[in-house]
Amino acid sequence: MKILMKPIEMIAWFNSKEKPIPLRYRIVDENNTYKVIKVDHVIFTKEEKIAGNRMIFYRCKSKINNSEKIYELKYEIDTCKWFLYKI
Amino acid sequence: MNDSIIFHIDVNSAYLSWEAAYRLQHGEKVDLREIPSIVGGDESKRHGIVLAKSIPAKEYGIQTGESVYSARQKCPNLTVVPPNYERYMKASNSMINLLNEYSPCIQRYSIDEVFLDMSHIEDKDFLNTAYEIKERIKKELGFTVNIGISSNKLLAKMASDFKKPDRIHTLFPHEIQEKMWPLPVEKLFMVGSKTQKKLNGRGIFTIGQLAKLDREYIYSWLKKPGILIWEYANGIENSQVRNTSNSLKSIGNSTTTSYDVSDRREAHMFLLALSEMVAMRIRNIEQMGRVISISIKDENFFSCSHQRKLDAPTDSTKVIYETSKKLFDEIWDGKPIRRFSVSISELYSNEFFQLSLLNSYNQKEENLEKAIDKIRYKYGYTSIIRSCFLHSGIKPIIGGVTTEEEYPMMSSII
Repeated sequence: MKILMKPIEMIAWFNSKEKPIPLRYRIVDENNTYKVIKVDHVIFTKEEKIAGNRMIFYRCKSKINNSEKIYELKYEIDTCKWFLYKI
Repeated sequence: MNDSIIFHIDVNSAYLSWEAAYRLQHGEKVDLREIPSIVGGDESKRHGIVLAKSIPAKEYGIQTGESVYSARQKCPNLTVVPPNYERYMKASNSMINLLNEYSPCIQRYSIDEVFLDMSHIEDKDFLNTAYEIKERIKKELGFTVNIGISSNKLLAKMASDFKKPDRIHTLFPHEIQEKMWPLPVEKLFMVGSKTQKKLNGRGIFTIGQLAKLDREYIYSWLKKPGILIWEYANGIENSQVRNTSNSLKSIGNSTTTSYDVSDRREAHMFLLALSEMVAMRIRNIEQMGRVISISIKDENFFSCSHQRKLDAPTDSTKVIYETSKKLFDEIWDGKPIRRFSVSISELYSNEFFQLSLLNSYNQKEENLEKAIDKIRYKYGYTSIIRSCFLHSGIKPIIGGVTTEEEYPMMSSII
């Protein structure tokens, strides 16, 4: 996996108990068009607070271009921003 | 007191480590700590000094406090990153939260230094606890610390300064002779460059040499501060780990201007902007002050200062400004100025205060200032400003590093 740390647009589900659950997001690809990716499965999450900055880390699995891909997302609590961390 | 166990936790190159950890978290591939890098102020605004350096940068002889320009000359491929104080406050707070789990008795000495009273720990367990703290900070928060352990705060602080980074040192009284006395005298807390010169002038180069001097001799020579450093050299210090901060003796703010100021009106505006900050801070801690002082530094780096004692204590922006303006007009010789500072001292509680027969007292003005403070604390410092600052290019309130948060500053009292 390569580090990207690209800001993404996200639709997530905030329920009353768990951490926010990412559902689907879209990124701008190299042809400058939007690509929507559905998060099929969250493998695990952990919370980190490096240098006091809280972020929720997700390892997820999705079908992208007909192949199963594992990648990592990050949610920054202070700024409410989602990132595609590694793919 | 001999049973006390005090930890002193010191973040290794704090600003730089925090910046590096934050950047790694945000996907940056290079770790600033592993390359020659510094956190430096903005050169275009003439705040260009080195605030923190990485260990590889230290190997080039770069020192904290020197200019970014000279640091670049020492190391041409130096990476310079701007500071972000809010980020550092967050990192520092997260460390305090973690340390709170270990002891109720915790003193935040500065943004990157903390004293912890661990006397409740039994036997020799403190070493294990120290390692646990160090490793947890590294793993959970992503930066390294040095921990100094001893029976008092001074020795703990000296110990954490030994070898860096990511280490634990002890310096108990029986270890002073071996670990602290061979060090050069300027390494001792409270020995600055001026005291160092004085001591060196009489052949005192190590802490050990200072410690062995006769107490009466040092008193007759350096008076009370001499006794203090003599006691420190002998490891004598017995202040408590304080949860609350020290009572303040004065409040002041200063600014280095981005250009040399040679116009009187502009100079007055800088004084006003600083007075706004000083007055707001003194009202916030519910105190009043009686001595107003200002100091200016001209383009040739010559400083001069001037102060005046008022008839009655004040916390009014207007009085502080009017006084500092008068003081300024009395000392300014017309040379362009690069730095202004305004401070107020001889503080009293504002609960009761003496009015002066000669000065007018206006309840309305006091209420107005209180209302302005409230608005500023709620909506930001620039939510309400004086109209003279409009389109002037001068910030309406100047002083401090972070705008809206209390930032723990260093102090000479441990």
